[in-house]
Amino acid sequence: MNSKAIKDLLIITALKSLPDLKRQPLMVFFVGMISSLPLFFILVFGGQISYGLIGAMVSTASLIGMMASIQDIAWDRYVKIREMLVAMPVHPLSYALGLALAPLVISSPSLIFFSAITMWLGVLTPYSILWAALTLIVCWATLSSIGFLISTYLQKAAPYTLNSLSNILGIGLTFIPTVYYPEDILGNFSWISMIFPTSNATSLIRVYSGSLTLPFEMVVARWLILLSTMLVFAAITVVKARWREP
Amino acid sequence: MDAVKSVNLFKTYHSKETVEALKGVSITVGKSELFTLLGQNGAGKTTFLRIISTQLLPTEGEASVLGFDVLTQPEEVRKHIAVVPQDVATYGNYTPWEYAYYFSMLRGMSRKEAKESAEKALKAVELWDLRNRPCATLSGGEKKRTIISSALASNADVFMLDEPTSGLDAVARRNVWAVLREMVEQGKTILLTTHIMEEAEMVSDRLAIIHKGSMIAEGTPDQIKHLTKERFRVVVEGNLKNLGLQENNNHIVKFGSKNIVYVENEDIALELIGKALKKGVKAEIAPITLEDVFVKLVGGEAN
Repeated sequence: MNSKAIKDLLIITALKSLPDLKRQPLMVFFVGMISSLPLFFILVFGGQISYGLIGAMVSTASLIGMMASIQDIAWDRYVKIREMLVAMPVHPLSYALGLALAPLVISSPSLIFFSAITMWLGVLTPYSILWAALTLIVCWATLSSIGFLISTYLQKAAPYTLNSLSNILGIGLTFIPTVYYPEDILGNFSWISMIFPTSNATSLIRVYSGSLTLPFEMVVARWLILLSTMLVFAAITVVKARWREP
Repeated sequence: MDAVKSVNLFKTYHSKETVEALKGVSITVGKSELFTLLGQNGAGKTTFLRIISTQLLPTEGEASVLGFDVLTQPEEVRKHIAVVPQDVATYGNYTPWEYAYYFSMLRGMSRKEAKESAEKALKAVELWDLRNRPCATLSGGEKKRTIISSALASNADVFMLDEPTSGLDAVARRNVWAVLREMVEQGKTILLTTHIMEEAEMVSDRLAIIHKGSMIAEGTPDQIKHLTKERFRVVVEGNLKNLGLQENNNHIVKFGSKNIVYVENEDIALELIGKALKKGVKAEIAPITLEDVFVKLVGGEAN
């Protein structure tokens, strides 16, 4: 990417995040509120708060990754901003990355808040928070690439249909897998947590926080699964997506 | 060098059924010219514009903008064009300023240049006072002008506007026309699509009529108006039989009690008016309009 492409990426990130932050600041709380909802049940009905906090961080990164990549593309098509951008000297990669980064900007206060709490409670150390941040970035990128692929295949779908689909997928991938609860609960089926990028990322952060112990080979295997999921979905999107319609 | 040129442009959509949207359209638009594509809904205007603006690939044919090939040099084409799509909407949270400013920045302008360009564009479309209001609070016409301002701010050489005034009231529409003509006077080229005949007649230097994917006429508005042998229209309110005319005549169009009678010259028109006056039938004479010719050419009710 050249300097113009990087500049465009930042402009699109700003365009897709700053107006919303300025005029709908409650969005920041909304993202954090959804992710922290299970914490309430953990506090009331019992459970490990460390699991809940790590789950909230993963959930925030995942929800925004999935929802934004589907919803923003759907709405950009609907209002025809995308048509205007295609006919401009803007690289498609700048558009896609800008679109994906914008919700990260919107959710950054929530992520910072959850990170601060985990550090304050001693769940994560200054060192492990770096690994946690890296894991969250990969998790967000994976969910974003899944979202991009869905919106690539469902080009003709109505924005409201895609909104609903992204909400279902986002919530499903966050609340059903072992994001807020330990994978031991699944017993012999605990390997399932490796399949979902959300639960896989959660387990890795738990390893870095010291609340889960896994052999080194398993940690490497989980990283490989997480990274390859992201790369596979991103690669299919790159092959299938068309900036200019055929 | 031509601003826009297409040679035998074809586009076929293959979905549930095959649709031939363009069937060999060849158009040449000169620099500093306002060229209008006129056609019914679904005639192929938008498809043509989308191909020329590098959004859509043609099935066959050649096209270029300022000498750059639309198929093989889309990046070069995009540096010189600005597009306003059909039925474009706005994001409620964005302000006119954000549209104009950020879109200018994406053109590669510096912050200072983008600010100057955005200010100039917003003033041109009379949105400067509303520049910081979220689009959700603007009227339909103001939203449309917001999008036009984002294209204007680009300072592109060729503007491609797909029905930019649809949905605007008469005052707002005329305001946009004035802006378009001013742009042309400043050396910009505009390729416009519309199905508002008055607009095509008022703003175009030249126009082309596209019908079912084919170009059926091209020329200045006056040249197009001379494509039929009729030159005048007489609007008669009442029974035509009193004037000795048959209602099933193909020079007559009936709208309830009103009839438009197309005649070849002023003498015949005045003769008809005289007859109407004698019989006490209300009648008015006027030169034939672009709309009359358009309807005749595309085979509407006049045929």
